[in-house]
Amino acid sequence: MSRQDHIREFAAKALSEGRVDYFIGWKQGYNSSEMVPAFVKDPAQVDELVWNPLCHHNLVTFIKRNMPDPAGAKIGLCVKGCDSRTLVALLQEQLVDKEKLYVVGVPCDGIIDRRKLEKQFKAEIIDVAFPDKGQVVVTTAKGETKEFAQDEVLLESCKRCRYPNPLYADDTAGPLVEEPDREQAPDFSDLAEYENLCDEDKQAFLERVYSTCIRCFACIHVCPVCVCWDRCVNRSRQPEWVEQKVDTKENLFFQMIHMFHVAGRCPSCGACDRACPVEIPLYLLHRKMNKEIYDMFRFEPGVKLDEKPVFQVFDLNDPFGD
Amino acid sequence: MADNKTTQASGAASGAAPGGGAAPAAAAPTPGLPGVSGDRPVKIVGIVCNWCSYAGADTAGVGRFRQPPNVRLVRVPCTGRIDPLFALKAFQKGADGVLISGCHPGDCHYSEGNYYARRRFELLERMVHYLGIPKERFRWTWVSASEGQRWQQVVTEFVAAVEKLGPREGRAL
Repeated sequence: MSRQDHIREFAAKALSEGRVDYFIGWKQGYNSSEMVPAFVKDPAQVDELVWNPLCHHNLVTFIKRNMPDPAGAKIGLCVKGCDSRTLVALLQEQLVDKEKLYVVGVPCDGIIDRRKLEKQFKAEIIDVAFPDKGQVVVTTAKGETKEFAQDEVLLESCKRCRYPNPLYADDTAGPLVEEPDREQAPDFSDLAEYENLCDEDKQAFLERVYSTCIRCFACIHVCPVCVCWDRCVNRSRQPEWVEQKVDTKENLFFQMIHMFHVAGRCPSCGACDRACPVEIPLYLLHRKMNKEIYDMFRFEPGVKLDEKPVFQVFDLNDPFGD
Repeated sequence: MADNKTTQASGAASGAAPGGGAAPAAAAPTPGLPGVSGDRPVKIVGIVCNWCSYAGADTAGVGRFRQPPNVRLVRVPCTGRIDPLFALKAFQKGADGVLISGCHPGDCHYSEGNYYARRRFELLERMVHYLGIPKERFRWTWVSASEGQRWQQVVTEFVAAVEKLGPREGRAL
């Protein structure tokens, strides 16, 4: 039985038993290379749920604080390894109610970077097939067919994944995948190129990258741990943290607010990177933050249910300061 | 803010030496005092807690310890109130340096505010450098109410270090 069949079965069972009011999974989107979140309310509809390496959406974002709609609804949802860490981060702060959730964990073999795939073709992609494990076959409108190994087109964050299996789940769709070696410290070598720039070049780089930001709030809306979505200081006029002016300075500060507000809770799931319509490398900020947090506290966000995010607790023996 | 040196000096003095009256910093800038060379004097935002560092600055003023007039103090109830974004906002608005100071660990007026704060400041310090702001432009430390001398030393050292880099040019952050 494939993982997809497991997901459908779990969803149908939970819906028909009344365990959940609706179930959130993934379904085929309007483009063949895009999956979209699916909200299934009827057991008869579960056949629209899919699971394949294009299901990149972090569905935890739909249940973040005050989100359950209607209030008090019982919700079922699918989580991948990285998604489950954001869910654990919310549970650590009691921002979601465990009792009202039904979580189907989906062990993940890595997600395909849709943009990377689309950039390889001039014509529109009309079909993406996965005939064998680790194999991707793409067909375009011009009849061109190309085969990829899944590893070639993986998301950057998946290449360094430490938790491919869900850390919190009521049911698991299929067998667990092989765990990477977690004895070693996380690999942050993707930041080295930026880190090695001189101060002047870093600023110039940030200015160049953030000049394109349109402040569409997509990064904030999809962020599962950015929980004050309804009272965001980025929208505040008093105090005015970010001005309305279209300006690189404001754009950068907008992102600084997001970064510092998710410090210690963001497990770098990469949802913001994938949502950004102008492809700003947001991972440079949140992964750096996680690198420093790991260096300071040996802490990885959203891993243990009984831990508190590092910035909400303290230790008398913290070695910081002079 | 006026670029007039006298205005700046008195403005800084009124912050650095609350109630200190005739603090030395209020006098006209003395040649050789750090912080008054270059194109314009460097502007430094100091964010200090009400109970220790602000009082420490007061002690320095009352004790007439000579210190450079480049620091504008912002008084907050506790270092636990200081959002890392305060420092970034100061840089964004053109500060040449940011100095954060509060009670020594264990001495917090609210018992534990600075324990939370130091975790944040450590991350902030690392991120500030990562964002391309030179190390010398940001400092956080502890100064108690009785340590007027230490306050003088911290401010003098910090201003000298920032002065060495000079005023910042218009940058994104």
